[in-house]
Amino acid sequence: MFFLNLGLGEFLAIWGAVSGAVLALYLLDRSRRKIRVATMRFWTPSEKPPEAKHRKRIQQPWSMLLQLIAIGLLLAALAQLRLGSPDRMSRDHVLVLDSSAWMGARVGQMTLLDQAKREAILWVRSLPAGDRVMLVRADALPSPTTMFANNRQATEQALLETRVGGSAVNLKATIDFARQMQRQHGSGLGEIVLAGAFRGHANDLPSEKELPANVRLLPVKADTRNVGIRKVTLRRSPADAQLWEVFVAVKNYSAQVEAVPLAVTFGSAPVGSARFTLAPGAEESARIEFRTKAAGYLEARLVTRDGIIEDNAATLELPEQKLVRVMVYTRDPALIRPLLAANRWLTASYALPETYKTDVDAEIVVLDRFNPPVKPTRRSIWIAPPVQGSPIAMLSPAKNVKLTGWRNDHSMAAGLRSLDLKVEETSVFAPSAGVSVVAESEVGAVVVASKDAAYLGFHPGSGAMRLELTAPLLMANTLEWLAPEVMRRREVTGESVGNVQIPLERGTDPGSIRVLGAGDVAVPFSVVDGTLQFYAGERGMARVQIGSKEQVYSLSLPDVAETVWDVPAKVRRGIPRGLTDSIASRDIWQWLAMAGGLLLLVEWLWFGRTRLPAVQQGSTSMVEIFRRFTAPFRKAS
Amino acid sequence: MAELSIDQSFLERLERLTLHWQKSFPGLVGGHNASRYSGSGQEFLDHRQFHQGDDLRAVNWRVYMRLERLILKLFQVEPRVPVRILFDVSDSMTTGEPSKFDYARKLAGAMTYVGLVRLESVLLQPFSDQLLDPLQCGGGRHRFRPCIDFLEGIKSAGKTDFMGCVKRFIAEYPQRGLVIVISDFLDDQGCEKPLQYLADFGHEVFLVHLWADEDRVPPYKGEIEIEDAETGEVQKLNFDAEAQEAYTANFDAYARGVREVAQRKGGKYAGVTTSTPVEQAVFGPLLGGGR
Repeated sequence: MFFLNLGLGEFLAIWGAVSGAVLALYLLDRSRRKIRVATMRFWTPSEKPPEAKHRKRIQQPWSMLLQLIAIGLLLAALAQLRLGSPDRMSRDHVLVLDSSAWMGARVGQMTLLDQAKREAILWVRSLPAGDRVMLVRADALPSPTTMFANNRQATEQALLETRVGGSAVNLKATIDFARQMQRQHGSGLGEIVLAGAFRGHANDLPSEKELPANVRLLPVKADTRNVGIRKVTLRRSPADAQLWEVFVAVKNYSAQVEAVPLAVTFGSAPVGSARFTLAPGAEESARIEFRTKAAGYLEARLVTRDGIIEDNAATLELPEQKLVRVMVYTRDPALIRPLLAANRWLTASYALPETYKTDVDAEIVVLDRFNPPVKPTRRSIWIAPPVQGSPIAMLSPAKNVKLTGWRNDHSMAAGLRSLDLKVEETSVFAPSAGVSVVAESEVGAVVVASKDAAYLGFHPGSGAMRLELTAPLLMANTLEWLAPEVMRRREVTGESVGNVQIPLERGTDPGSIRVLGAGDVAVPFSVVDGTLQFYAGERGMARVQIGSKEQVYSLSLPDVAETVWDVPAKVRRGIPRGLTDSIASRDIWQWLAMAGGLLLLVEWLWFGRTRLPAVQQGSTSMVEIFRRFTAPFRKAS
Repeated sequence: MAELSIDQSFLERLERLTLHWQKSFPGLVGGHNASRYSGSGQEFLDHRQFHQGDDLRAVNWRVYMRLERLILKLFQVEPRVPVRILFDVSDSMTTGEPSKFDYARKLAGAMTYVGLVRLESVLLQPFSDQLLDPLQCGGGRHRFRPCIDFLEGIKSAGKTDFMGCVKRFIAEYPQRGLVIVISDFLDDQGCEKPLQYLADFGHEVFLVHLWADEDRVPPYKGEIEIEDAETGEVQKLNFDAEAQEAYTANFDAYARGVREVAQRKGGKYAGVTTSTPVEQAVFGPLLGGGR
């Protein structure tokens, strides 16, 4: 028998205080009442002798005893006196099942998750029938699977349906969540039972101080060997558009040295291999190059049999790299060829102006110093167009003109700041509505842009201009402005699911960043200390666009954590014995409350009824009547 | 200063009332109650023999020419009679709930208003063991505000001394008239003799006897300690139902004695308990004239 809400000392102290107050009220009530009257002339004392000669003695001990017992019973009901042992009262437990990627490791015929499920089911079956259990699946985020319930069958079913996730467990957050659930929804404080290996990242594992006292661990045999791919990065060589560079990082999670071969295939054809000899806990990477311009799947595979097979292979999809086709109508291709050849993302064709066609098979048309009779339907670059037949208004050509400014807010002028350039001969444009000025000279606009065409007043490959750095930059900017999709640079990275962190270049505008998940759905992200972070809970693709650069993340690798949790000694382990045989404690506060009320009723019927004052019409206030009625000990006159 | 709450609707109802007395008082014309004393009225009253010193203008000369005897013709007069309201402000009036003191002030205010409306001359005279400063008012309802201020400014104090107060009152106000006494009539020396003295002097007395419910039927039981509100005397006693009955019988006998004093000389008596609203008391026991 024990109190749920109070200790024995607290109960006795409160009972003693209340009893003392009742006794004091009784003695106070027994004292003479002082009354101020208008006159003494009508007052005559009663002929009967006073009944209470000793006012400081209790006149009706049975009445007082009944009231004190009733108060004690009501107080015991408030304190929730229970039958049984405090250890056997109904409690609410939180069962945390580790469903992280590491739990997919095999030991013999079973995975670690199977072991954890078996232990958890045995623990659930060992509980008293009155105890309630909430099941929480733990990986990167704690997910409650069942609410507090004593339906053992439903709990076991939920345990059996649990599958291995792709992320590492965040045990610190999971324990916080379990404590919060017990505080908010639990009645009797039970245990937080951890079933699993709980291998996580160092920051996600709680220290001994952060662990509550009611934690129990159901351990699994986690002595397994594993070597896995941590990351695969695939990018085009900056020098060659058809050359791909593959970086593969491999980590040894085992406690012994492991030697594993790596095979890289593209479209099932081997394109490279490497061999790793890894010390325990070591991580190494290999670089492999191969050449292709086709799209396809690249697979990096560790040829080994270990605990976790999911991190032995990573597959990345290579996008097709399209080249921009440029049709150049010129009589002097030698002047333009060096400017276009510098860009590896395009292929250029050259033709005489007489062969001009409006509907040419190219993305961009370059018109070198001539005006076609009909404007091209493609996006176009007009180099030094003659005044006659020009599609935009022009002034007279000028010679030996000095450039006075670049409009850097336009993409064509991005990064161009040369102001001391002299152009030997240039056309001068008269910008109108819908035409943006890109470069200005002392005689007027010399580079302008309309919706789908760029107009250069001078030839960037002739005269002194061909020796300036400004010429190829202006051409590259113009091509990128006309065909931004094709010119976008792409990288493909194979990563593990979970929290993805990408270092950003200095000065990156967060407004230019977009993170897209499956189906091009925007994924929330944050930029903290120059690092882009977003969370992917499931395997799949994510695309990160930063300006003209796009990174494709193939999140197919499991997030296998590297740190084994050092379980503090205070944590209880295993399944407690003999719980189901014991009888759970039982609430009796209802009976105590009824008994207390009954005693008060008996006392009132026996002694109290005669205490009621004779209510005379208009003579006694209701407050007075109530005060007299509630006075605990007032002897009937 | 305790505020007297007399609402406008109650005052409007009071305007329909008038103060009435049965005795005939001599006085100057201007009242509204007929007197058996002759005077310079309009209505014929009687004839009587001429005596030396009578006003020759009142001789009925026609009778003299026929009978050769001097006969005077008397006329009925409606004299202007002073109304005096004596109200008790002793400490005994402060007992009970609601307070008899507040109740007495409200009653005095209501009666003063009735007198003012009928253009009576009303004297408000508080007393306890002596006569306190009075207020003489008259001239219509517009003079009621000073009366309320006067009543609100009165504080209860002192013992009750009816005999001393009555002697002083008779000495100060020799003209007979209507005297309304509002009190609990609780005087250790007894109030019958002074009230009798007042009536014998020629005043018409109207005794308004106030009591609180616990003054008549004390609701206390058991051992109690009672303290006299005026003298401070303390007495411990055992009080039960029989003692309560005896108390009530004593009280009723005393009230009957006060009533007899009032009625012995043609006066009036009205017993009012403070649990009765003032308006209800005015239009109930007081309107009935205490009969």
